[in-house]
Order: sequence, then C-alpha cells, then structure tokens
Amino acid sequence: MDIAESKRNDTVILALAGRLDANNANVLEDKVGALLDAGEQHLVFDLARLDYISSAGLRVLLVAAKRLGAVDGQLGLAGLAPPVREVFDIAGFSSIFSIYPDVASALKQ
Amino acid sequence: MLHVKNRLAELQRMDQLVRNFAARHALPEQATFELALALDEILTNVISYAYDDAGEHDILVHVSLDGCDLRVQIEDDGRPFDPLSVPTPDTSLPVDQRPVGGLGVHLARRVTDRLVYRRESGKNIVLMTKRVDR
Repeated sequence: MDIAESKRNDTVILALAGRLDANNANVLEDKVGALLDAGEQHLVFDLARLDYISSAGLRVLLVAAKRLGAVDGQLGLAGLAPPVREVFDIAGFSSIFSIYPDVASALKQ
Repeated sequence: MLHVKNRLAELQRMDQLVRNFAARHALPEQATFELALALDEILTNVISYAYDDAGEHDILVHVSLDGCDLRVQIEDDGRPFDPLSVPTPDTSLPVDQRPVGGLGVHLARRVTDRLVYRRESGKNIVLMTKRVDR
C-alpha cells in the first residue's frame, strides 16, 4: 500500500493505493494517529486507487472516526471502488461514514 | 495444498495465489475478490491469535472447485478456536457505539455460503464453501 499525503486549506487528504490488509494496517494507523495527535481535525481518504481492504483496514478508519467524532472533527471517504464499497456495505460502514464520489465533492462539504 | 507461514506478510502472497487459481478457472471477478477476502480474514485470525509461541508454524490452505462449488479449507495447529463463536456484530450502530474489531469473521461468513469448523487431531479446520456462476 502507498500513502500520499496532501493538504487543502485545513483538510488533510490521504490517498491510498494498492492493498490495505492486516499486514500493513499499522502503517496507516501510525500515520493517522500522528496527524490526529498533531491536532488535525479534517481528514479525507482518497480511496480511488485502493484495490482491496480487509477488516484490519476498516478498524483503522473506525478508530480515526471515533477520535475525530470526539473532537467535532470530520472524516470523509472518496472514490471507493466496487470491491471496497462491498466491504463497507457488509460491515455497515456505508451508513456511518460520509462517502463521496471523489475528493472534490468531499472537499466541498 | 498450499503451505502458509504464520506471518502476516503471507497474506499478499495468498491473495495472488487465489487470483491465479481464479484466472485458471475463469471465475467471475466479484467471486474471486470475495474468496480472497474470506481467506484473508480467517488467515489473519489464525496468524494473529492462534499461537502462543513466536515460532514458525505451517498453516495448510486447500482451494478446490467442484463444478460450481468453490471450497477453501484452512488447517492450523494453533489453540482451539471456533470462528463461529465470534458474536455477529451489530452493523447498525453509530460510530461512537461501534466496538472496534470483530468484523473479520462476519465478512468471511457474509461473502461465503457456508462456513463450518471442526477440531480434529489437535488442529482447527475451517471449511468455507461458495457457489459460483461459471
């Protein structure tokens, strides 16, 4: 998995590419943890190039959403490919996360 | 029969092997992804929780296709663990009430048609079956 970080105004955009599983979820967890520790409150995950996610990846997103929810922050997910979307649907994550077709729409919110 | 070491780095290799198997048998893309996910989730649990020691263990994975029935069997010599004993998560809870974890077995069960467990000769054996259109 590759993680590319960028910032637009006060929103940090993390673009994930490849495969997010139990073997590398800790890399993302550390990255997100460091951003939240630094006081970032607006995160958008660009998942357009993410091919695969397992429950280990969902866990990282849930933990981030809980932390951001506690500080009135915001977490948006953009550009989910069909397999990733299916995992979100089965896990019941599609209804509890803010999901956008692309990063541009996520940034407008 | 595939031999997998109890290391999380093996997950990606298994994913590739599943995709090669699916390509050889012309399995549909969605079924292939679901098979890879179910195997990943069960293997992740075994590799992460089954062993008390830090030593190397062999996990056996067998993938087969019988007509339209896809079967995946995972066999490990770790401590007894029945994935079916994991309670089904309440997927309707809001973020702040969602427990962290417990989704892996749920995903595996939802993307396969049947998941059975047995303990035999000191081994955990999980058999998942899935009907595929070909």
